[in-house]
Amino acid sequence: MPALLEARRLRKAYEGRVLLDGVDVQLEGGRVTTLGGPSGGGKTTLLRILGQLCEPDEGQVQLDGVDVLTLPPRSLRRRIALVAQAPAMFPGTVLDNVRTGPALAGDEMPEATALELITRAGLEPQFLTQEARALSGGEKLRVAVARALALKPEVWLLDEPTAALDPARVETLLRLLRELATAGAAMLVVTHDARALQELAGRRLQLVAGRLTEETA
Amino acid sequence: MSYVTVSFPQLLLSLGLMAMAIAVSSQNHLGLEKDLIVGTIRAAVQLFAVGLLLTVVFRNEHPASVFGLIAVMVVVAGWTAARRIAHGPGSWVLFEYATLAVLVAGVLVLVPVFAFVIRPARWYEARLLIPISGMILSNAMNGVALVFERVFASIHDDSVAVEQLLSLGATPKQAVERHVRAAMNAALRPTINGLLTVGLVALPGMMTGQIVSGTAPDQAVRYQLVIMYQLVAVAAVAGALASRFARRLSFTEREQLRTFADRRVR
Repeated sequence: MPALLEARRLRKAYEGRVLLDGVDVQLEGGRVTTLGGPSGGGKTTLLRILGQLCEPDEGQVQLDGVDVLTLPPRSLRRRIALVAQAPAMFPGTVLDNVRTGPALAGDEMPEATALELITRAGLEPQFLTQEARALSGGEKLRVAVARALALKPEVWLLDEPTAALDPARVETLLRLLRELATAGAAMLVVTHDARALQELAGRRLQLVAGRLTEETA
Repeated sequence: MSYVTVSFPQLLLSLGLMAMAIAVSSQNHLGLEKDLIVGTIRAAVQLFAVGLLLTVVFRNEHPASVFGLIAVMVVVAGWTAARRIAHGPGSWVLFEYATLAVLVAGVLVLVPVFAFVIRPARWYEARLLIPISGMILSNAMNGVALVFERVFASIHDDSVAVEQLLSLGATPKQAVERHVRAAMNAALRPTINGLLTVGLVALPGMMTGQIVSGTAPDQAVRYQLVIMYQLVAVAAVAGALASRFARRLSFTEREQLRTFADRRVR
């Protein structure tokens, strides 16, 4: 199976510190990859580069074999979901938030679709009309997942998605991630959560001192 | 009607007013005496210097000297608006954009009014062009400074949300729409408040000056209205241009949010 999102020889330094030192990574459709490593070690930076929010100092990113620099950034980003560890909520209700992606492209999402998306992300229906900014960290994360689901992305990049969730919610989220991967999405999940690592059962990468290594255990 | 003239001894007498303010500060331990003394001297020196310059320009009225002076005003306004903007790309980068915004807004607002409303006897009449341009350019400067300050600060504070909007396929314009709108609103608010309260709270300086120096009140009012409408228009145009520039400067060619070093405002 060809790699869907592929990065080659990525280098990135920040304030004189080398975060990525020649990183190669392939995220294949239908497969989950997890990423661990010390905090402050460049994992979020790698996600931001793959999610097209910043450029590497050196190296190349390809989506379906095409250099991303040749693709228009907006349509490219809509194909790659990036769920931050502490996602920001936009003003308005959960419904407004879930509708954001389609609305930016001029499409209006029916309320029933939004309801279905938040349910898949593990939120109860009554959340739909709640003020998004007043939610807890775990609830915000699930809104961010529903918000991303609305765009049907081909690649998912998630930064510590289970950190703010209680065990029952973790189960729901992991099930969703497995479903998405089974349906063909490529997935990179930054996590240190032993349960997530076990249940996602994918390739395990470690980013240490700017280098990516694959755990064989 | 005759001009009200102020002799030098009379002017010195008015220093008694500053003495009054200094006495209040001292009595109440406000600690403002030094600032009041420096302010008294600075205001006198600056205004006498400007008065001297204007006297020279008025006596030797020539398009080059009149427009040279206005050009200096534009550049100083641009530099002032570009300074002390925290979270922005720095004064030198902002300077050219601020100057351009002040210049374009100033020309758009001043030229039609001079051409069709005020119609000076000579197209370069210094007595009209310089003071009115000064008022308008200074409002453009304040509008640009407010927009720059607000747009860069709010994007910086809300960068996580801005980047998440980009992730969901937003254009840079869509991603910072809220921030730009709030900044434009803030930039226009003082001028609009001025429109709403003019005559109720205070008579505007220019109108007061005209009435004191002998202009009939109804004419002074008309002049003032033209000026006030100009002030609103120039704040709107300069603010709109500044917000476009700020937005452009906030993103890379690949539509990624730029991060600027934190510039502490002293």
